[in-house]
Amino acid sequence: MLVSKDSYMYEMIRTELTDILGDENVCTRDADKFGHSIDYYWIPEMWHDRGMETPKPDFVVHPGSAEEVSRVVKLANHYHIPVVPWGGGSGSQGGALPVYGGIIVDMKRMNKFLGIDKNALTVTCQTGMIARHLEWQCNKEGYSTMHLPASIACATIGGFLAHRGTGVLSTKYGKIEDMVMSLQVVTPTGEIIRTLPVPRHASGPDLTMLFLGSEGTLGIITEVTLKVHPQPEAREFRAYIFKDFHTAMSAGAELMRSRLQPCAVRLYDEEETIHHVRKVFGMELDKGAYLVFGFDGRKDIVASQMKYAREIMEKKYKGKDLGSKGGDLWWENKYKFFYPPFMFHMPQAFGTLDTVATFSNIENVYHAMKKVVNENFPQARFIGHFSHWYEWGCMLYARFIFEEKDVPKDPREAAALYNKVWDLAIRAAIANGGVINEHHGVGLKLGRLMKELYGPAMPVLEGIKKQLDPNNIMNPGKLGFKGV
Amino acid sequence: MNIDNYLDAIKNCRFCFMCRHLSAIGNVTFTEADTPRVRAAMTYGITMYPEKLANRDYIDTIYRSDLSACCRFHCVSHFDENGLNLAARADIVEAGLAPESVKAIVADLKKNEKWTGKGSGDVLYFVDSYTAETKSVAKAFDTIMKKAKIPYQTVTGGCIGKALNVLGFRKEAKEAMQKFAQVIKGSKAKIVVVSNPAAYDALVNDYKEAGIKLGVKVMHTSEYIKSLKLKFPKKAGKVYYLESDYLKNYNNNLPAPRELLAALKAEIVPFGTNNEESYTCGEGAVVLPKIDESLVEKLAKYIEARADNPKKDVIVVASPYTKLCLGKYTALNVKTLEELAAGCL
Repeated sequence: MLVSKDSYMYEMIRTELTDILGDENVCTRDADKFGHSIDYYWIPEMWHDRGMETPKPDFVVHPGSAEEVSRVVKLANHYHIPVVPWGGGSGSQGGALPVYGGIIVDMKRMNKFLGIDKNALTVTCQTGMIARHLEWQCNKEGYSTMHLPASIACATIGGFLAHRGTGVLSTKYGKIEDMVMSLQVVTPTGEIIRTLPVPRHASGPDLTMLFLGSEGTLGIITEVTLKVHPQPEAREFRAYIFKDFHTAMSAGAELMRSRLQPCAVRLYDEEETIHHVRKVFGMELDKGAYLVFGFDGRKDIVASQMKYAREIMEKKYKGKDLGSKGGDLWWENKYKFFYPPFMFHMPQAFGTLDTVATFSNIENVYHAMKKVVNENFPQARFIGHFSHWYEWGCMLYARFIFEEKDVPKDPREAAALYNKVWDLAIRAAIANGGVINEHHGVGLKLGRLMKELYGPAMPVLEGIKKQLDPNNIMNPGKLGFKGV
Repeated sequence: MNIDNYLDAIKNCRFCFMCRHLSAIGNVTFTEADTPRVRAAMTYGITMYPEKLANRDYIDTIYRSDLSACCRFHCVSHFDENGLNLAARADIVEAGLAPESVKAIVADLKKNEKWTGKGSGDVLYFVDSYTAETKSVAKAFDTIMKKAKIPYQTVTGGCIGKALNVLGFRKEAKEAMQKFAQVIKGSKAKIVVVSNPAAYDALVNDYKEAGIKLGVKVMHTSEYIKSLKLKFPKKAGKVYYLESDYLKNYNNNLPAPRELLAALKAEIVPFGTNNEESYTCGEGAVVLPKIDESLVEKLAKYIEARADNPKKDVIVVASPYTKLCLGKYTALNVKTLEELAAGCL
């Protein structure tokens, strides 16, 4: 049911919601609805920039417990009202937008820190906790989640879980899905369930993984137990400039194949090195591709790892050593890239075409995406860096940027142009062994490409969705699932 | 409109999430509306459609901001969403849209104005309404001055313009500033000392912006007491110091309170988990208890929840306002810098 404010049902539902949550936790103010109508996705930002009305929820609710979430979901099921979970609202894929109205379940009131198990090195918290607050709490006790993405200041832990987020130290500590021990979830029909307490077992399929990345379409994650790590004794970085992107990629791939276990590796293509890295660091860099990596842990082991890594960079690939200072600059400025005015912003049109592939395919993916953007949109700039590295491959954080003069004034034409870039670039990625996304998720933005990515496997996902959410109330229209 | 002077903040903050974790009000109401991002985005809407200024929800949101300026202090480019908020309040007032509750606060501030002073000397100690309400803060200052054998004057009795300014009543604020400037002039004092960091900010920054020259040195009590170079025979011991919005975020004056604490031989223990959030109960908003008392209570409880041992810890604050709020809503043992210093004599 799509609720109309003029309908008697609006007041009936509001009364039921306040009965569950209290007046204070059911918001219908214009300001609250507006605040939940724009996330970090370019389309709603552009819509607002052009003076268009953005789709708003009918109600914004702030539950304080899994039981309250459950009761809200049961109510929504009874009336068939869309429910959209909302964490920090910093998703870039439109995953939390209330495109069909309904109830926004803002999770930030569920922000309890439930403690660290110092034997198992795990932390348990409610998922509405802002990630920075959780990290600070862990730091106070001498630990770190090691999940340190640029969105740490705004995203909630639940947001990371919902779209499989990743942080700057992912190369050693993994993506969020590698950090999870277990979850508490409210299913679309309102049952409160827990997944198994440990992530490694032979006790059937992994329910934890089913909910990770489900973007609120299969339920609402209300509590999580994550791994934590002691703060390392040492963390050191070093940076190099290579003559070109290919050489830098070869050096980075060899570093990963060496199994030296860096905590971070980041490679910027020539274009991004010139236009972005130099600007943020405020330093002159030679022409070429900038590669930075680091190690953390025991001081003597870090020194040893660094020694062998330097041999790879310098002896085999002839990288120009920028020293530890060149590496520290990246670590100190790692979030500065995302603050205005360093981040791209309106009235530019921009997007992050992040994907991931094996070392055998990643350069082909990069070149194919670059080619398709350059050939079809010569007015756009294409830049890229490779920010999350695995034993077998790495993630491409490619971006396209249109300057204001090249973006149609009409918002619908602007959106059409924007979507076209995504369609062509992501199809090029898929054709070369990439996927539609690595850590931002699918949301509204990429849902239409899910069938192409999954092929005959898509009905399996759709079947799971139908089974869990028979009334299709949970975040309809996202992740490629059907809308209302 | 006044907000037009903040187009850079509007355009840069409206889609930026980087200071979300520091939104004091947002962290207790949990609503997106109470964040710099959404306030800036809503204000952008007003630049396009000025009639939206009259929206009561917008006005309510603007008036319940904590004005801590944590966001500006944190931002790598220091975009001034805080200033934008103040400009929006001024626009609301100039459009005749100020809420009745805000008008009532202004009427009260005007009604209660009656400047009185006593004592003599080159030092003029301004006892604002919060300092007066605590009683113990001014008494502690008196103890210190007696020990230092420095005669001083006190003045009390009204708004020096800060509260009016913060509420968007800029014309009335300027009038109040001019009156208080005359009070200072009449005292012939050379130094004005204030306990309330909001008053410090007013006298240091607001008067300058309004083109009012005071011709005196303005010092926060932390600076002034330290400058006396007194000997403090008793050690302050282990304390948790909560930063002031006005000293830290508005004036980048982090050293003064810490230098005084060092002189008192205090062992400063980090409070909570970080030194970035505002733990002042809305000091930046000056009169938040009169706008929405329930928000102040939530802010106080939020701070209490972060204490290591709420009943035993010694919490030191730079602001009598914060002491009052924490005293009213929590079990925390709160002292101002003056009280701590007097206790070490």
